[in-house]
Amino acid sequence: MSFIPGHPVTAVVQRIEIHKLRDGDNLILGFSIGGGIDQDPGQNPFSEDKTDKGIYVTRVSKGGPAEVAGLRMGDKIMQVNGWDMTMVTHDQARKKLTKKNEDVVRLLVTRKSLETVVRQSMMQH
Amino acid sequence: MMPIDRLADMEEKLRILEDLNMIYIRQIALSLKDSDIQKKIDYEIRMREGACKLLAACSQRDQALEASKSLLTCNARIMAYMSELQRMKEAQVMQRVARRSSDAGPMDDRSPCKAKVAISDLRIPLMWKDTEYFKNKGELHRCAVFCLLQLGGEIFDTDMVMVDRTLTDICFDNKIVFNEASPGFELRVELYSCCSEEDYSAGNTPRKLASKLSTSLGRSSGKKMRGTLEPGACSPTSNGGGAAILLPVPSVPGPKYHLLAHTTLNLSHVQDSFRTHDLTISGNEECSFWLPLYGGVCCRLAAQPRCMTQQMMSGCLRVKLGGEPQGWTNVYGVLKGTNLFCYHQKEDMEANVEPVLTIGINKETRIRAAEKDPHSKAQNICISNQYGGEEVTHTLAADSREDTQLWMEAFWQQFYDMSQWRQCCDDLMKIELPSPRKPAIVTPKQGALYHEMVIDTSDDIGTVTDILARRIEEFELRAQLGSPPHWMSLFDEDPPRSPHNHQHLPPHSPSPCHRTPGLLSSNASLTSDSDSPVSVSPCFRQAWSPDTSSSSGRFRPRTLSLDAKLSTLRGRGYGGFRCNCQPPTAGSGSPRPTQTALFCSSSTSSSSSSEGSNSQESDLGFSRPSGARRSLRNLRAKLDPRNWLQSQV
Repeated sequence: MSFIPGHPVTAVVQRIEIHKLRDGDNLILGFSIGGGIDQDPGQNPFSEDKTDKGIYVTRVSKGGPAEVAGLRMGDKIMQVNGWDMTMVTHDQARKKLTKKNEDVVRLLVTRKSLETVVRQSMMQH
Repeated sequence: MMPIDRLADMEEKLRILEDLNMIYIRQIALSLKDSDIQKKIDYEIRMREGACKLLAACSQRDQALEASKSLLTCNARIMAYMSELQRMKEAQVMQRVARRSSDAGPMDDRSPCKAKVAISDLRIPLMWKDTEYFKNKGELHRCAVFCLLQLGGEIFDTDMVMVDRTLTDICFDNKIVFNEASPGFELRVELYSCCSEEDYSAGNTPRKLASKLSTSLGRSSGKKMRGTLEPGACSPTSNGGGAAILLPVPSVPGPKYHLLAHTTLNLSHVQDSFRTHDLTISGNEECSFWLPLYGGVCCRLAAQPRCMTQQMMSGCLRVKLGGEPQGWTNVYGVLKGTNLFCYHQKEDMEANVEPVLTIGINKETRIRAAEKDPHSKAQNICISNQYGGEEVTHTLAADSREDTQLWMEAFWQQFYDMSQWRQCCDDLMKIELPSPRKPAIVTPKQGALYHEMVIDTSDDIGTVTDILARRIEEFELRAQLGSPPHWMSLFDEDPPRSPHNHQHLPPHSPSPCHRTPGLLSSNASLTSDSDSPVSVSPCFRQAWSPDTSSSSGRFRPRTLSLDAKLSTLRGRGYGGFRCNCQPPTAGSGSPRPTQTALFCSSSTSSSSSSEGSNSQESDLGFSRPSGARRSLRNLRAKLDPRNWLQSQV
């Protein structure tokens, strides 16, 4: 995930499909997010670049739908169901994830390890 | 001549002027045979010297601000006394002139009674820009403010309040009572402000001297003189120079207050409830002492005219009760406020027994002297009132003609007072007597310096805890009675077990902190996750802060009244209360009290104000996390936009 101001962001992403768990009236995914363009990026413990105002996964509930789907703590969410998550406020991000009429959310996430893996596999060739 | 010499020369000349002025003032006072004002002036001058010395000697900012405030108040009082002296002298001269010209008619003018005027609960709303809230500037722009209230010759100052962008209103708790106000009174309210980070250098001396010398001694009242002292927006006037006109004092280095806003209140603003009045704001955004005022001041201005609180007339009367022509009853009448109380006998009034008869005396009442009763020596007095469409007339008689005359006179005076004091005479307005305040500790001792300024010893940490605990109780009570505000859920230490309630706080996982710009954290219970310490590599910081209540969306935290109260308390010198170390709360899982001793002030520094004493408070808070404070800290941490929010989805 390299970020050069003025240039498009390129990242290696993984598709994660989370099926929401219904608990009474609520639909839960089982993770927590942090970040947003209205937040202070310097306090994000997971980002490499401390000016990155993206949405990061800060916690994943054990055994929850997110963990089952393969989401890991520290992942940066790039898209949710096609909606961009790199330039949104914290609240907007939360809303995109918690739409009541959607049972499934398809995320595009990226993490450092993905890049490493890809690079390694590329080097092997 | 070298500029420095010139400066010294001017200072010398000013000192001579000062001495001459004092002699002049003393002469006036002597000629008026009024030693009272003279004593007051001398006292204020001594206070001023003391304040100057203290200002020059003190090192702590808080002390300097308080001393500067005292200096300004002393100056204002001296000016007021001086101008009063001048006025009295003028009046005396005018009288002599009038007598000589034998022009004076009968001095028969009725004068209205005086009143007690009280102003309390001053609140000045602020209007910070949105950008100010969320800006992560390193410095928190703080100003010290206080109000100066003047009515007639009396000047009072309120306590000083520290204001920064976390406050929505400037609140002054002082209740100030002026004792001798006439109906045409003018209560001038002035808001002075001083930037709290100013460099206290005396680099402006030539300009100050110039401003001192350029103002002239005129016949104007103290108010006008003070007005001329602020020649333009933002030009700082020296402290000593405030009274430069009459008694120039060499400028003292130190914080200087500037007039930020003012307004004048009079009888038309008096009401038994809170009202908002417009403020005239001086200065603009460029000034260091600027604060974004909303433009109004809210306060309670009440007046108690003497005619409402004191017995204006009393004596024996005879009143005709019932319809019979011969039915005279002896009563003891007392004229007070809007009623004439008729007691069976004088002792009843003193014993607070109910009067036999109460006759209303108000604007609608008509009183006339009746035709001479053939049986009695004096005229009867007929008092007529309208009681719901019906006219009721009471007939009274005094014992002698002189008494009748006195009573009529008293009634006319009462009517006159009521017409002068208007709405104040409809009903008696309550005025609370201000509780006896401890005198300000400004006595200078030779060679002694204050190391710690105690502004108000009653506000110690114990009291603060009590206040907060009481507040929590109030909130909880209200929650039981009515629908609780949605943020009340944050105070639940043990939220219900269902893990999927969006309003819960995430679990707390402690780990040693490695970087100081710390992260506020709170503890709460939630599901089974709460006990598992997250095994993370040490290079991560755990940044847990409570999530926003999902139903609340974005709302301005500043509107909480508790917030304001905390800010006020903090402004009184307890800056360590907010945003400093938060002790971990004992949530449901295993309590981890001492391990999680991490976090310090939030990343934008300097929200904690001062040096010495505050560190003690934060230590105290550290070692005794009590329930009330924890919850409040949680709330504050949660609503502080500088936190890095996390939401559970």
